[in-house]
Amino acid sequence: MDKTEILEKLTPIFRAIFGNNSLVLSDGLTANDVDNWDSLTHMLLITEIENSFTIKFKLKDLNKMRNVGDMVETIISKLQA
Amino acid sequence: MMFLKSVINPFNGVLEKFNNLNAFYIREQYYSYGHFARCISMVRDALQSRVNGNQNIGLVVNDDIETYASVFAIWLEGMAYVPLHPHQPVERSEEIIDQAEIRLVLDSRGDLKFTGAEIIETVNLTYKSLNLVPKIVPDDSLAYILFTSGSTGKPKGVMITRGNLGAFMDSFLKTGIQIDENDRCLQCFDLTFDVSVQSFLVPLTKGACVYTIPHDQIKYSYVYGLLEDHQLTFGAMAPSMIRYLRPYFDEIRVPAMRYNIVTAEASPLDLLMEWSECIPNAEIYDFYGPTEATIYCTYHKFSREGANKQLNGMLSIGKPMDGLKAIVVDDDGKVQGANQKGELCISGEQLTPGYWKNPEKNRDSFFEKKTDGSLIRFYRTGDSCFFDEDGDIMLAGRLDYQVKIQGYRIELGEIEYHAREFLKGQNAIAVPVDNHLGNTEIALFVEGALAVEAELVNYLQGKMPYYMMPSRILVEPVFDLNTSGKVDRIKLKSKLA
Repeated sequence: MDKTEILEKLTPIFRAIFGNNSLVLSDGLTANDVDNWDSLTHMLLITEIENSFTIKFKLKDLNKMRNVGDMVETIISKLQA
Repeated sequence: MMFLKSVINPFNGVLEKFNNLNAFYIREQYYSYGHFARCISMVRDALQSRVNGNQNIGLVVNDDIETYASVFAIWLEGMAYVPLHPHQPVERSEEIIDQAEIRLVLDSRGDLKFTGAEIIETVNLTYKSLNLVPKIVPDDSLAYILFTSGSTGKPKGVMITRGNLGAFMDSFLKTGIQIDENDRCLQCFDLTFDVSVQSFLVPLTKGACVYTIPHDQIKYSYVYGLLEDHQLTFGAMAPSMIRYLRPYFDEIRVPAMRYNIVTAEASPLDLLMEWSECIPNAEIYDFYGPTEATIYCTYHKFSREGANKQLNGMLSIGKPMDGLKAIVVDDDGKVQGANQKGELCISGEQLTPGYWKNPEKNRDSFFEKKTDGSLIRFYRTGDSCFFDEDGDIMLAGRLDYQVKIQGYRIELGEIEYHAREFLKGQNAIAVPVDNHLGNTEIALFVEGALAVEAELVNYLQGKMPYYMMPSRILVEPVFDLNTSGKVDRIKLKSKLA
Protein backbone atom coordinates (compact mmCIF):
# COMPACT_ATOMS: atom_id res chain seq x y z
CA MET A 1 0.00 0.00 0.00
CA ASP A 2 1.46 3.37 -0.92
CA LYS A 3 1.07 6.73 0.73
CA THR A 4 -1.87 7.86 -1.41
CA GLU A 5 -3.79 4.66 -0.73
CA ILE A 6 -3.15 4.97 2.98
CA LEU A 7 -4.37 8.57 3.01
CA GLU A 8 -7.49 7.48 1.12
CA LYS A 9 -8.17 4.83 3.71
CA LEU A 10 -7.44 7.22 6.60
CA THR A 11 -9.66 10.06 5.42
CA PRO A 12 -13.05 8.50 6.25
CA ILE A 13 -11.71 7.34 9.63
CA PHE A 14 -10.61 10.87 10.51
CA ARG A 15 -13.87 12.35 9.23
CA ALA A 16 -15.95 9.96 11.34
CA ILE A 17 -13.94 10.39 14.55
CA PHE A 18 -13.81 14.18 14.41
CA GLY A 19 -17.30 14.56 12.95
CA ASN A 20 -16.04 16.71 10.10
CA ASN A 21 -16.92 15.66 6.56
CA SER A 22 -14.76 18.25 4.87
CA LEU A 23 -11.56 17.32 6.68
CA VAL A 24 -8.68 16.98 4.21
CA LEU A 25 -5.57 15.15 5.35
CA SER A 26 -2.11 16.45 4.61
CA ASP A 27 1.34 15.55 5.92
CA GLY A 28 1.62 18.65 8.06
CA LEU A 29 -1.76 18.29 9.76
CA THR A 30 -1.46 18.18 13.60
CA ALA A 31 -3.81 17.83 16.57
CA ASN A 32 -3.74 21.60 16.84
CA ASP A 33 -5.38 22.05 13.43
CA VAL A 34 -8.39 19.83 14.09
CA ASP A 35 -11.23 20.59 16.51
CA ASN A 36 -11.67 18.00 19.28
CA TRP A 37 -8.39 16.22 18.58
CA ASP A 38 -7.54 15.46 22.20
CA SER A 39 -6.43 12.45 24.25
CA LEU A 40 -9.85 10.80 24.03
CA THR A 41 -10.42 11.16 20.28
CA HIS A 42 -6.77 10.34 19.65
CA MET A 43 -7.21 7.03 21.42
CA LEU A 44 -10.38 6.30 19.42
CA LEU A 45 -8.56 7.24 16.23
CA ILE A 46 -5.63 4.95 17.01
CA THR A 47 -7.96 2.03 17.76
CA GLU A 48 -9.86 2.57 14.49
CA ILE A 49 -6.65 2.73 12.47
CA GLU A 50 -5.28 -0.39 14.17
CA ASN A 51 -8.45 -2.32 13.37
CA SER A 52 -8.74 -1.05 9.85
CA PHE A 53 -5.11 -1.77 8.86
CA THR A 54 -4.79 -4.81 11.19
CA ILE A 55 -1.68 -3.40 12.80
CA LYS A 56 -0.75 -2.62 16.41
CA PHE A 57 1.05 0.56 17.43
CA LYS A 58 3.50 0.73 20.26
CA LEU A 59 3.42 3.68 22.62
CA LYS A 60 6.85 4.58 21.22
CA ASP A 61 5.28 4.82 17.74
CA LEU A 62 2.53 7.10 19.01
CA ASN A 63 5.02 9.32 20.75
CA LYS A 64 7.00 9.86 17.56
CA MET A 65 3.92 10.82 15.52
CA ARG A 66 3.82 14.59 15.48
CA ASN A 67 1.60 14.94 12.41
CA VAL A 68 -0.34 12.97 9.80
CA GLY A 69 2.80 12.54 7.67
CA ASP A 70 4.54 10.77 10.58
CA MET A 71 1.45 8.65 11.05
CA VAL A 72 1.45 7.51 7.42
CA GLU A 73 5.17 6.66 7.62
CA THR A 74 4.56 4.59 10.73
CA ILE A 75 1.66 2.74 9.12
CA ILE A 76 3.84 1.95 6.08
CA SER A 77 6.60 0.55 8.27
CA LYS A 78 4.09 -1.51 10.31
CA LEU A 79 2.57 -2.95 7.12
CA GLN A 80 6.01 -3.94 5.85
CA ALA A 81 7.03 -5.56 9.13
CA MET B 1 5.29 36.58 56.07
CA MET B 2 4.73 32.99 55.16
CA PHE B 3 4.72 33.58 51.39
CA LEU B 4 8.08 35.30 51.57
CA LYS B 5 9.55 32.61 53.79
CA SER B 6 8.17 29.56 51.96
CA VAL B 7 7.89 30.71 48.35
CA ILE B 8 9.78 33.86 47.35
CA ASN B 9 12.93 33.51 49.49
CA PRO B 10 13.60 29.85 48.56
CA PHE B 11 12.91 30.66 44.90
CA ASN B 12 15.20 33.71 44.86
CA GLY B 13 17.82 31.59 46.64
CA VAL B 14 17.65 29.02 43.84
CA LEU B 15 17.99 31.71 41.14
CA GLU B 16 21.20 32.83 42.77
CA LYS B 17 22.69 29.47 43.70
CA PHE B 18 21.77 27.39 40.64
CA ASN B 19 22.17 30.01 37.94
CA ASN B 20 23.58 27.47 35.46
CA LEU B 21 21.21 24.60 36.15
CA ASN B 22 18.11 24.02 34.04
CA ALA B 23 14.84 25.41 35.34
CA PHE B 24 12.63 24.29 32.43
CA TYR B 25 12.43 21.93 29.50
CA ILE B 26 9.75 23.27 27.15
CA ARG B 27 9.23 22.10 23.56
CA GLU B 28 12.57 20.27 23.38
CA GLN B 29 14.45 23.28 24.72
CA TYR B 30 16.20 23.81 28.07
CA TYR B 31 16.12 27.14 29.91
CA SER B 32 18.54 27.80 32.76
CA TYR B 33 17.65 29.50 36.03
CA GLY B 34 19.86 32.38 34.89
CA HIS B 35 17.76 32.77 31.74
CA PHE B 36 14.57 32.45 33.77
CA ALA B 37 15.71 35.20 36.17
CA ARG B 38 16.34 37.57 33.24
CA CYS B 39 13.01 36.65 31.71
CA ILE B 40 11.18 37.40 34.98
CA SER B 41 12.98 40.73 35.28
CA MET B 42 11.94 41.80 31.77
CA VAL B 43 8.29 40.94 32.38
CA ARG B 44 8.40 42.72 35.74
CA ASP B 45 9.90 45.87 34.14
CA ALA B 46 7.05 45.86 31.65
CA LEU B 47 4.50 45.28 34.39
CA GLN B 48 5.89 48.09 36.56
CA SER B 49 5.66 50.54 33.69
CA ARG B 50 1.90 49.96 33.36
CA VAL B 51 0.33 49.15 36.71
CA ASN B 52 -0.48 51.45 39.49
CA GLY B 53 -1.85 50.17 42.73
CA ASN B 54 -2.70 46.61 43.58
CA GLN B 55 -4.70 44.77 40.96
CA ASN B 56 -5.43 41.34 39.56
CA ILE B 57 -3.45 40.59 36.44
CA GLY B 58 -4.84 38.38 33.69
CA LEU B 59 -2.39 35.80 32.36
CA VAL B 60 -2.92 33.96 29.09
CA VAL B 61 -1.48 30.58 29.97
CA ASN B 62 0.59 29.47 27.01
CA ASP B 63 3.20 26.76 27.30
CA ASP B 64 6.36 28.86 27.25
CA ILE B 65 9.03 30.36 29.47
CA GLU B 66 7.44 33.84 29.33
CA THR B 67 4.20 32.56 30.83
CA TYR B 68 5.98 30.97 33.81
CA ALA B 69 8.16 34.08 34.17
CA SER B 70 4.98 36.16 34.29
CA VAL B 71 3.68 34.24 37.32
CA PHE B 72 6.81 35.15 39.29
CA ALA B 73 6.95 38.73 37.97
CA ILE B 74 3.36 39.20 39.19
CA TRP B 75 4.15 37.66 42.59
CA LEU B 76 7.35 39.71 43.06
CA GLU B 77 5.28 42.78 42.29
CA GLY B 78 2.90 41.81 45.10
CA MET B 79 -0.04 41.03 42.86
CA ALA B 80 -2.23 38.07 41.89
CA TYR B 81 -2.54 36.26 38.56
CA VAL B 82 -5.78 35.08 37.03
CA PRO B 83 -5.15 32.40 34.40
CA LEU B 84 -7.00 32.65 31.08
CA HIS B 85 -6.74 29.57 28.89
CA PRO B 86 -5.91 30.40 25.25
CA HIS B 87 -8.20 27.61 24.03
CA GLN B 88 -11.25 28.54 26.06
CA PRO B 89 -13.92 30.66 24.38
CA VAL B 90 -13.02 34.38 24.36
CA GLU B 91 -16.44 35.04 25.85
CA ARG B 92 -15.54 33.01 28.93
CA SER B 93 -12.21 34.82 29.32
CA GLU B 94 -14.00 38.16 29.04
CA GLU B 95 -16.51 37.07 31.67
CA ILE B 96 -13.56 36.33 33.99
CA ILE B 97 -11.82 39.61 33.10
CA ASP B 98 -15.00 41.46 33.91
CA GLN B 99 -15.68 39.64 37.18
CA ALA B 100 -12.11 39.88 38.50
CA GLU B 101 -11.86 43.55 37.41
CA ILE B 102 -8.78 42.84 35.35
CA ARG B 103 -7.39 45.84 33.47
CA LEU B 104 -4.11 44.32 32.35
CA VAL B 105 -3.42 40.97 30.66
CA LEU B 106 0.00 39.42 30.06
CA ASP B 107 0.18 37.31 26.91
CA SER B 108 3.30 35.76 25.35
CA ARG B 109 1.64 35.32 21.96
CA GLY B 110 -0.32 38.51 21.64
CA ASP B 111 -2.87 37.03 19.25
CA LEU B 112 -5.89 37.42 21.54
CA LYS B 113 -7.95 40.56 22.03
CA PHE B 114 -10.15 41.24 25.02
CA THR B 115 -12.52 44.11 25.44
CA GLY B 116 -11.90 46.06 28.63
CA ALA B 117 -8.29 45.03 29.25
CA GLU B 118 -4.94 46.21 27.96
CA ILE B 119 -2.54 43.50 26.78
CA ILE B 120 1.20 43.43 27.43
CA GLU B 121 3.02 41.15 25.04
CA THR B 122 5.71 39.40 27.04
CA VAL B 123 7.98 38.34 24.19
CA ASN B 124 10.60 40.52 22.52
CA LEU B 125 11.13 42.59 25.66
CA THR B 126 14.52 44.16 26.28
CA TYR B 127 16.66 43.01 29.18
CA LYS B 128 18.06 45.80 31.35
CA SER B 129 19.05 44.35 34.71
CA LEU B 130 17.83 41.87 37.30
CA ASN B 131 14.62 43.00 38.96
CA LEU B 132 13.95 40.35 41.57
CA VAL B 133 13.61 42.17 44.89
CA PRO B 134 10.13 41.34 46.17
CA LYS B 135 7.66 44.02 47.06
CA ILE B 136 6.57 43.38 50.64
CA VAL B 137 2.82 42.88 50.86
CA PRO B 138 0.78 41.19 53.60
CA ASP B 139 -0.01 37.49 53.50
CA ASP B 140 -3.71 38.14 53.12
CA SER B 141 -3.22 39.66 49.66
CA LEU B 142 -3.97 37.32 46.80
CA ALA B 143 -1.55 35.02 44.94
CA TYR B 144 -4.03 33.79 42.32
CA ILE B 145 -7.71 33.49 41.55
CA LEU B 146 -8.86 30.34 39.77
CA PHE B 147 -12.23 30.38 38.09
CA THR B 148 -14.13 27.13 38.16
CA SER B 149 -17.42 25.96 36.76
CA GLY B 150 -20.49 27.49 38.42
CA SER B 151 -24.05 26.15 38.25
CA THR B 152 -25.52 29.58 37.40
CA GLY B 153 -23.75 29.50 34.05
CA LYS B 154 -21.08 31.91 35.27
CA PRO B 155 -17.65 30.75 36.42
CA LYS B 156 -16.86 31.43 40.08
CA GLY B 157 -13.47 32.61 41.32
CA VAL B 158 -11.61 30.91 44.17
CA MET B 159 -9.26 33.42 45.82
CA ILE B 160 -6.00 31.97 47.09
CA THR B 161 -3.91 34.26 49.27
CA ARG B 162 -0.14 34.40 49.57
CA GLY B 163 -0.55 33.04 53.10
CA ASN B 164 -2.60 30.10 51.77
CA LEU B 165 0.11 29.19 49.28
CA GLY B 166 2.91 29.62 51.82
CA ALA B 167 1.03 27.30 54.21
CA PHE B 168 0.61 24.75 51.41
CA MET B 169 4.33 24.73 50.65
CA ASP B 170 5.16 24.28 54.34
CA SER B 171 2.83 21.35 54.84
CA PHE B 172 3.62 19.72 51.48
CA LEU B 173 7.31 19.57 52.31
CA LYS B 174 6.46 17.79 55.57
CA THR B 175 4.82 14.85 53.76
CA GLY B 176 8.10 13.09 53.14
CA ILE B 177 8.59 14.11 49.51
CA GLN B 178 12.05 15.58 49.21
CA ILE B 179 13.10 17.24 46.00
CA ASP B 180 16.52 18.68 45.24
CA GLU B 181 18.41 20.28 42.35
CA ASN B 182 19.04 16.89 40.71
CA ASP B 183 15.36 16.13 40.18
CA ARG B 184 13.52 16.17 36.85
CA CYS B 185 9.87 16.99 37.43
CA LEU B 186 6.75 16.63 35.33
CA GLN B 187 4.28 19.52 34.98
CA CYS B 188 1.40 18.10 32.94
CA PHE B 189 -1.48 20.25 34.21
CA ASP B 190 -3.06 23.30 32.61
CA LEU B 191 -2.20 26.47 34.51
CA THR B 192 -5.93 27.05 34.96
CA PHE B 193 -5.90 24.04 37.30
CA ASP B 194 -4.20 24.31 40.69
CA VAL B 195 -2.14 21.11 40.66
CA SER B 196 -0.04 23.00 38.10
CA VAL B 197 1.11 25.32 40.91
CA GLN B 198 2.45 22.38 42.92
CA SER B 199 3.98 20.94 39.76
CA PHE B 200 6.10 23.99 38.95
CA LEU B 201 6.52 25.64 42.35
CA VAL B 202 7.92 22.71 44.34
CA PRO B 203 10.72 22.03 41.78
CA LEU B 204 11.52 25.72 41.30
CA THR B 205 12.01 26.32 45.02
CA LYS B 206 14.49 23.43 45.09
CA GLY B 207 16.49 24.06 41.93
CA ALA B 208 15.02 21.11 40.01
CA CYS B 209 14.01 21.12 36.31
CA VAL B 210 10.35 21.36 35.22
CA TYR B 211 9.24 19.43 32.09
CA THR B 212 6.06 20.75 30.44
CA ILE B 213 3.54 19.56 27.83
CA PRO B 214 2.88 21.68 24.73
CA HIS B 215 -0.82 22.44 24.24
CA ASP B 216 -0.82 21.01 20.72
CA GLN B 217 0.45 17.59 21.74
CA ILE B 218 -1.55 14.54 22.79
CA LYS B 219 -0.88 14.58 26.51
CA TYR B 220 -0.54 10.90 27.38
CA SER B 221 1.77 10.08 24.52
CA TYR B 222 3.93 13.19 25.11
CA VAL B 223 4.13 12.45 28.85
CA TYR B 224 5.33 8.94 28.00
CA GLY B 225 8.05 10.44 25.80
CA LEU B 226 9.25 12.68 28.64
CA LEU B 227 9.18 9.86 31.19
CA GLU B 228 11.07 7.51 28.91
CA ASP B 229 13.58 9.85 27.25
CA HIS B 230 14.34 11.99 30.28
CA GLN B 231 13.75 9.49 33.07
CA LEU B 232 11.77 11.95 35.18
CA THR B 233 12.10 11.57 38.94
CA PHE B 234 8.97 13.29 40.25
CA GLY B 235 5.52 14.02 38.89
CA ALA B 236 1.86 14.46 39.71
CA MET B 237 -0.66 12.84 37.36
CA ALA B 238 -4.39 12.31 37.13
CA PRO B 239 -5.59 8.68 37.14
CA SER B 240 -7.51 9.37 33.90
CA MET B 241 -4.23 10.09 32.13
CA ILE B 242 -2.60 6.99 33.55
CA ARG B 243 -5.59 5.03 32.20
CA TYR B 244 -4.73 6.15 28.66
CA LEU B 245 -1.30 4.62 29.16
CA ARG B 246 -2.66 1.36 30.53
CA PRO B 247 -2.75 -0.57 27.20
CA TYR B 248 0.98 0.15 26.90
CA PHE B 249 2.14 -0.49 30.48
CA ASP B 250 4.41 -3.34 29.31
CA GLU B 251 6.42 -0.78 27.30
CA ILE B 252 6.84 1.74 30.11
CA ARG B 253 9.70 1.50 32.56
CA VAL B 254 10.90 4.50 34.51
CA PRO B 255 13.25 3.25 37.23
CA ALA B 256 14.43 6.81 37.89
CA MET B 257 11.02 7.90 39.18
CA ARG B 258 11.37 8.56 42.93
CA TYR B 259 7.99 10.04 43.79
CA ASN B 260 4.72 9.82 41.92
CA ILE B 261 1.59 11.66 42.99
CA VAL B 262 -1.84 10.61 41.78
CA THR B 263 -4.39 13.33 42.25
CA ALA B 264 -7.31 15.33 40.87
CA GLU B 265 -9.67 12.34 40.94
CA ALA B 266 -10.31 9.25 43.05
CA SER B 267 -7.55 6.68 42.49
CA PRO B 268 -8.57 3.14 41.49
CA LEU B 269 -6.45 0.63 43.36
CA ASP B 270 -6.21 -1.88 40.49
CA LEU B 271 -4.86 0.83 38.17
CA LEU B 272 -2.24 1.87 40.75
CA MET B 273 -1.17 -1.75 41.29
CA GLU B 274 -0.43 -2.18 37.58
CA TRP B 275 1.05 1.30 37.18
CA SER B 276 3.43 0.76 40.09
CA GLU B 277 5.25 -1.88 38.01
CA CYS B 278 6.14 0.80 35.44
CA ILE B 279 7.77 2.93 38.13
CA PRO B 280 9.38 0.19 40.23
CA ASN B 281 11.38 2.46 42.53
CA ALA B 282 8.85 5.21 43.15
CA GLU B 283 6.98 6.04 46.31
CA ILE B 284 3.39 6.54 45.20
CA TYR B 285 1.10 8.96 47.01
CA ASP B 286 -2.54 9.80 46.56
CA PHE B 287 -3.22 13.47 47.28
CA TYR B 288 -6.73 14.87 47.66
CA GLY B 289 -7.84 18.45 47.86
CA PRO B 290 -10.34 21.00 46.60
CA THR B 291 -9.04 24.23 45.03
CA GLU B 292 -10.59 26.04 48.01
CA ALA B 293 -8.07 24.46 50.39
CA THR B 294 -5.06 25.26 48.16
CA ILE B 295 -4.13 22.29 45.98
CA TYR B 296 -3.98 19.35 48.41
CA CYS B 297 -5.18 18.79 51.95
CA THR B 298 -5.06 15.05 52.65
CA TYR B 299 -2.70 12.32 51.47
CA HIS B 300 -2.15 8.61 51.62
CA LYS B 301 0.89 6.56 50.73
CA PHE B 302 0.25 3.59 48.45
CA SER B 303 1.72 0.34 49.68
CA ARG B 304 3.29 -1.98 47.09
CA GLU B 305 3.15 -5.09 49.25
CA GLY B 306 0.78 -4.57 52.14
CA ALA B 307 -2.96 -4.09 52.01
CA ASN B 308 -4.23 -0.73 50.87
CA LYS B 309 -7.33 0.77 52.41
CA GLN B 310 -10.06 1.17 49.86
CA LEU B 311 -13.74 1.84 49.33
CA ASN B 312 -15.43 0.60 46.16
CA GLY B 313 -12.01 -0.02 44.66
CA MET B 314 -10.82 3.54 45.33
CA LEU B 315 -7.77 4.16 47.51
CA SER B 316 -8.36 5.94 50.83
CA ILE B 317 -7.47 9.65 50.71
CA GLY B 318 -5.68 9.21 54.04
CA LYS B 319 -5.13 11.85 56.67
CA PRO B 320 -4.94 15.65 56.61
CA MET B 321 -1.61 17.27 55.86
CA ASP B 322 0.15 19.16 58.63
CA GLY B 323 -1.75 22.29 59.70
CA LEU B 324 -5.12 21.15 58.33
CA LYS B 325 -8.11 19.78 60.16
CA ALA B 326 -10.81 17.58 58.66
CA ILE B 327 -14.21 16.70 60.09
CA VAL B 328 -17.19 14.81 58.72
CA VAL B 329 -20.61 16.31 59.49
CA ASP B 330 -24.20 15.19 58.89
CA ASP B 331 -26.99 17.32 57.40
CA ASP B 332 -27.50 19.08 60.72
CA GLY B 333 -23.84 19.93 61.09
CA LYS B 334 -23.24 17.31 63.77
CA VAL B 335 -19.73 15.84 63.77
CA GLN B 336 -19.81 12.16 62.83
CA GLY B 337 -17.84 9.38 64.49
CA ALA B 338 -15.85 6.60 62.89
CA ASN B 339 -17.52 4.81 59.96
CA GLN B 340 -20.39 7.31 59.87
CA LYS B 341 -20.83 8.91 56.47
CA GLY B 342 -21.27 12.66 56.01
CA GLU B 343 -19.82 15.69 54.27
CA LEU B 344 -16.07 16.22 54.53
CA CYS B 345 -15.23 19.71 55.85
CA ILE B 346 -11.77 21.23 55.96
CA SER B 347 -10.16 24.01 58.00
CA GLY B 348 -6.69 25.45 58.35
CA GLU B 349 -4.36 28.09 57.00
CA GLN B 350 -4.70 26.79 53.46
CA LEU B 351 -8.39 27.66 53.40
CA THR B 352 -9.41 30.32 50.88
CA PRO B 353 -10.93 33.52 52.29
CA GLY B 354 -13.81 32.74 49.89
CA TYR B 355 -15.16 33.17 46.38
CA TRP B 356 -14.43 36.43 44.64
CA LYS B 357 -17.34 38.84 45.24
CA ASN B 358 -19.86 36.07 45.79
CA PRO B 359 -21.41 36.52 49.28
CA GLU B 360 -24.21 34.06 48.57
CA LYS B 361 -21.89 31.22 47.62
CA ASN B 362 -19.63 32.11 50.56
CA ARG B 363 -22.56 31.79 52.98
CA ASP B 364 -23.35 28.33 51.57
CA SER B 365 -19.85 26.95 51.45
CA PHE B 366 -18.23 28.07 54.71
CA PHE B 367 -19.33 27.85 58.33
CA GLU B 368 -17.87 28.37 61.79
CA LYS B 369 -17.91 25.67 64.40
CA LYS B 370 -16.65 25.42 67.92
CA THR B 371 -13.97 22.74 67.78
CA ASP B 372 -11.52 21.88 70.58
CA GLY B 373 -12.57 25.00 72.46
CA SER B 374 -12.20 27.58 69.71
CA LEU B 375 -14.31 28.84 66.86
CA ILE B 376 -12.91 27.46 63.58
CA ARG B 377 -13.93 28.25 60.00
CA PHE B 378 -14.63 25.24 57.79
CA TYR B 379 -15.18 24.69 54.06
CA ARG B 380 -17.78 22.22 52.87
CA THR B 381 -16.10 20.09 50.21
CA GLY B 382 -19.30 18.55 48.84
CA ASP B 383 -17.58 15.16 49.07
CA SER B 384 -19.29 12.33 50.89
CA CYS B 385 -16.75 10.67 53.21
CA PHE B 386 -16.17 8.84 56.47
CA PHE B 387 -13.27 8.25 58.82
CA ASP B 388 -12.27 4.67 59.57
CA GLU B 389 -11.10 3.55 63.04
CA ASP B 390 -7.53 4.69 62.31
CA GLY B 391 -8.61 8.16 61.21
CA ASP B 392 -8.08 7.50 57.50
CA ILE B 393 -10.64 9.15 55.26
CA MET B 394 -12.65 7.13 52.75
CA LEU B 395 -14.13 8.96 49.79
CA ALA B 396 -17.61 7.75 48.84
CA GLY B 397 -18.52 10.19 46.07
CA ARG B 398 -20.08 13.61 45.48
CA LEU B 399 -23.06 14.99 47.33
CA ASP B 400 -24.13 17.27 44.51
CA TYR B 401 -24.21 17.47 40.75
CA GLN B 402 -20.51 17.96 40.29
CA VAL B 403 -18.30 15.66 38.30
CA LYS B 404 -14.62 15.61 37.58
CA ILE B 405 -13.35 15.43 34.06
CA GLN B 406 -9.62 15.38 33.41
CA GLY B 407 -9.31 16.71 36.95
CA TYR B 408 -11.56 19.68 36.32
CA ARG B 409 -14.52 20.03 38.64
CA ILE B 410 -17.58 20.60 36.55
CA GLU B 411 -21.07 21.61 37.60
CA LEU B 412 -23.50 19.65 35.47
CA GLY B 413 -25.81 22.60 36.06
CA GLU B 414 -23.55 24.88 34.03
CA ILE B 415 -23.69 22.62 30.99
CA GLU B 416 -27.47 22.31 31.37
CA TYR B 417 -27.81 26.06 31.80
CA HIS B 418 -26.08 26.80 28.48
CA ALA B 419 -27.95 24.02 26.66
CA ARG B 420 -31.33 25.30 27.91
CA GLU B 421 -30.41 28.85 26.92
CA PHE B 422 -29.87 27.64 23.37
CA LEU B 423 -32.95 25.40 23.41
CA LYS B 424 -35.11 28.32 24.59
CA GLY B 425 -36.89 26.55 27.42
CA GLN B 426 -36.64 22.94 26.32
CA ASN B 427 -35.21 20.84 29.10
CA ALA B 428 -31.68 19.42 28.97
CA ILE B 429 -29.95 17.15 31.47
CA ALA B 430 -26.23 16.38 31.59
CA VAL B 431 -25.33 12.92 32.79
CA PRO B 432 -21.81 11.72 33.61
CA VAL B 433 -20.95 8.37 32.11
CA ASP B 434 -17.82 6.24 32.23
CA ASN B 435 -16.35 5.35 28.85
CA HIS B 436 -14.71 2.00 28.14
CA LEU B 437 -11.44 3.23 29.65
CA GLY B 438 -13.24 4.09 32.86
CA ASN B 439 -12.82 7.85 32.30
CA THR B 440 -15.80 10.12 32.81
CA GLU B 441 -17.55 11.76 29.86
CA ILE B 442 -20.72 13.82 29.64
CA ALA B 443 -23.83 12.75 27.77
CA LEU B 444 -26.41 15.48 27.21
CA PHE B 445 -30.08 14.53 27.02
CA VAL B 446 -32.46 16.93 25.27
CA GLU B 447 -36.19 16.68 25.89
CA GLY B 448 -38.53 16.92 22.91
CA ALA B 449 -36.75 17.37 19.61
CA LEU B 450 -33.52 18.82 18.35
CA ALA B 451 -33.48 20.20 14.83
CA VAL B 452 -29.77 20.50 14.15
CA GLU B 453 -27.38 18.94 16.66
CA ALA B 454 -24.38 20.73 15.15
CA GLU B 455 -25.90 24.12 15.99
CA LEU B 456 -26.21 23.19 19.66
CA VAL B 457 -22.66 21.85 19.66
CA ASN B 458 -21.44 25.03 18.04
CA TYR B 459 -23.24 27.18 20.58
CA LEU B 460 -21.85 25.20 23.53
CA GLN B 461 -18.32 25.40 22.09
CA GLY B 462 -18.64 29.16 22.18
CA LYS B 463 -19.64 29.12 25.85
CA MET B 464 -17.63 26.43 27.60
CA PRO B 465 -14.07 25.10 27.65
CA TYR B 466 -13.41 21.87 25.76
CA TYR B 467 -13.39 19.61 28.81
CA MET B 468 -17.02 20.52 29.56
CA MET B 469 -18.32 19.56 26.11
CA PRO B 470 -20.72 16.59 26.00
CA SER B 471 -19.26 13.68 24.03
CA ARG B 472 -22.73 12.71 22.85
CA ILE B 473 -26.17 14.26 22.61
CA LEU B 474 -29.34 12.18 22.85
CA VAL B 475 -32.93 13.20 22.34
CA GLU B 476 -35.77 11.82 24.48
CA PRO B 477 -39.41 12.70 23.71
CA VAL B 478 -40.24 13.13 27.42
CA PHE B 479 -38.07 12.85 30.55
CA ASP B 480 -39.35 10.47 33.23
CA LEU B 481 -39.73 11.91 36.69
CA ASN B 482 -38.77 10.16 39.92
CA THR B 483 -40.92 9.91 43.02
CA SER B 484 -39.88 13.33 44.27
CA GLY B 485 -41.01 14.91 41.02
CA LYS B 486 -37.52 15.59 39.67
CA VAL B 487 -36.17 14.39 36.36
CA ASP B 488 -35.03 10.83 36.91
CA ARG B 489 -31.35 11.11 36.14
CA ILE B 490 -30.73 7.47 36.99
CA LYS B 491 -33.28 6.37 34.41
CA LEU B 492 -31.67 8.64 31.80
CA LYS B 493 -28.28 7.21 32.63
CA SER B 494 -29.60 3.67 32.21
CA LYS B 495 -30.43 4.50 28.59
CA LEU B 496 -26.72 4.86 27.92
CA ALA B 497 -25.87 1.28 28.83
